[in-house]
Amino acid sequence: MVNVMKGVLVECDPAMKQFLLHLDEKLALGRKFIIQDLDENHLFISTDIVEVLQARVDDLMDRISFPLHDKDA
Amino acid sequence: MADTKSGSGRHSAAGGSGNTVLSPLGQGPANLECKDFQEYLRTRQTPESLEKLYNYPPICLAVFRELPEIARQFIIRILFVDQPVPQAVVTSWGAQRCAKEQAEATSCLTALNVWRVTAIPGGLSAWELSPTFKKSVRQVLLGGGKPWPMTNTLDKDSKPRDIAFLDTYAMSRWRCVLHYMVGTGNRSGTDAEAISPDAVRILLHANLMKRDERDGITITRQGFQFLLLDTRAQVWHFMLQYLDTCEERGISLPECLSMLFQLTQFSTLGRDYSSEGMNNQMLTFLQHLREFGLVFQRKRKEGRFYPTRLALNVTSKEAAATASVAMDEEATQDCGYIVVETNYRVYAYTDSPLQVAVLGLFTELLYRFPNLVVGVLTRDSVRQALRGGITAEQIVSYLEQYAHPNMRMVESAIHSKSCLPPTVVDQIKLWELERNRFTYTEGVLYNQFLSHTDFVTLRDYAQSIHMLVWQNERTRTMVVQKNGHDDVKRYWKKYSKSGV
Repeated sequence: MVNVMKGVLVECDPAMKQFLLHLDEKLALGRKFIIQDLDENHLFISTDIVEVLQARVDDLMDRISFPLHDKDA
Repeated sequence: MADTKSGSGRHSAAGGSGNTVLSPLGQGPANLECKDFQEYLRTRQTPESLEKLYNYPPICLAVFRELPEIARQFIIRILFVDQPVPQAVVTSWGAQRCAKEQAEATSCLTALNVWRVTAIPGGLSAWELSPTFKKSVRQVLLGGGKPWPMTNTLDKDSKPRDIAFLDTYAMSRWRCVLHYMVGTGNRSGTDAEAISPDAVRILLHANLMKRDERDGITITRQGFQFLLLDTRAQVWHFMLQYLDTCEERGISLPECLSMLFQLTQFSTLGRDYSSEGMNNQMLTFLQHLREFGLVFQRKRKEGRFYPTRLALNVTSKEAAATASVAMDEEATQDCGYIVVETNYRVYAYTDSPLQVAVLGLFTELLYRFPNLVVGVLTRDSVRQALRGGITAEQIVSYLEQYAHPNMRMVESAIHSKSCLPPTVVDQIKLWELERNRFTYTEGVLYNQFLSHTDFVTLRDYAQSIHMLVWQNERTRTMVVQKNGHDDVKRYWKKYSKSGV
């Protein structure tokens, strides 16, 4: 007997994986989306969440970046 | 200027429905393909349509000219032989050490349907030139047949146009198309700047622009790459796309190609030609060429036109070198106007709205002076470009290509090939990487295998068809690409049946 599930394999660095686990746990995207935690670099998630997730990650990156230059210099 | 494009790429981000890799940039075919003429014929035309094209002597002559030397030799040798020539005979014409070149020539001729294999008595296979091709090439060499269009003699033009005039005219027309692409054409709104719906349709068809619900028509990733090409390549790519759509417009493709070749390969710059005897379709085609600046015509109805430098030699490979020399004046004017500083500031010494607009695709413009534009590369502006499908590599290479000569003189402490400040180059690349921290692969997960052997068998099978993406033997879990699922499932069914 084999169990078969469709979804999307995500490959990322461990830090980003922890961020995804965090989102999943806190139901930040409205629901759980991680189907299976594979190893420290891989997750298996549901297909329909990818777009929302990508936007969310973009948001995160926007929040943790700082302007490098001074426009009025 | 960057504002006009803001958010244009947002829809496409992560919207890739591709079968395997859902990259964050996942839209459309990755890169702009620029084919040469032979490749175009080989890939876009069927043997039947090639046969139709070979009815036109100018096309045959153009094909002939573009062939490898050995292939041309072959054709000339068998052109007047009215029976198939055994393959062994053809092979014997070349020395053994040139076998590779010969094989290339042979396959080239076959691919273009110039000759084909037939069987001759005695069980030998032989080459036979396509009768249409043969007829047309003979006609080209010996004369005869219908007179070519454009060959009618004309009275002397009372106001002849010189080459310099044609060059400026051609470039100004072509720039209109480019301006439109970067979105400066429609805003300045003058008639001279506008381009016709037909041209817009070609840009859309070519995937150089796309229709966006919010922003109207915007430039695509391929469009940006297109802007970075040299003018000759641009014109050629554009014409290929035009030819793709010309049947829809009710213009016959063979006629178009035939005329294009006469114009591009068999006409002289600075001479005027007559449009007398052309049918309505060809006159429409001529008007299109006129619009893109490939020909100059004073008035729509005038039966006289001049081909411009844009048209000449656009189709041939060897001409690439000479054409670029010809465009040298253009090049000196174009190249070397951008200074990039380590503080991400970009100074562009230019007054061309086109160059400013291209720059505006990935920089935030701050000040504009008559001959100078100051902008700054910010995370937002670069990400904007990245979202639009432009790659960091493209941005960097654009800046390098047009770097101001003084940039090359600056001695850098870090030894690098690029004349740009390393910090800026690195940062642009980092901004891109930051978007790619995830790779998504659509797939199917298999787990809960009952036995280790079951797992290993299925895993090895998936690996053998190159569909395995991830596996872990300890947990007996594997992920297979989505499009490989059916195969693997079938294999599994067969395996489990036979196993029990």
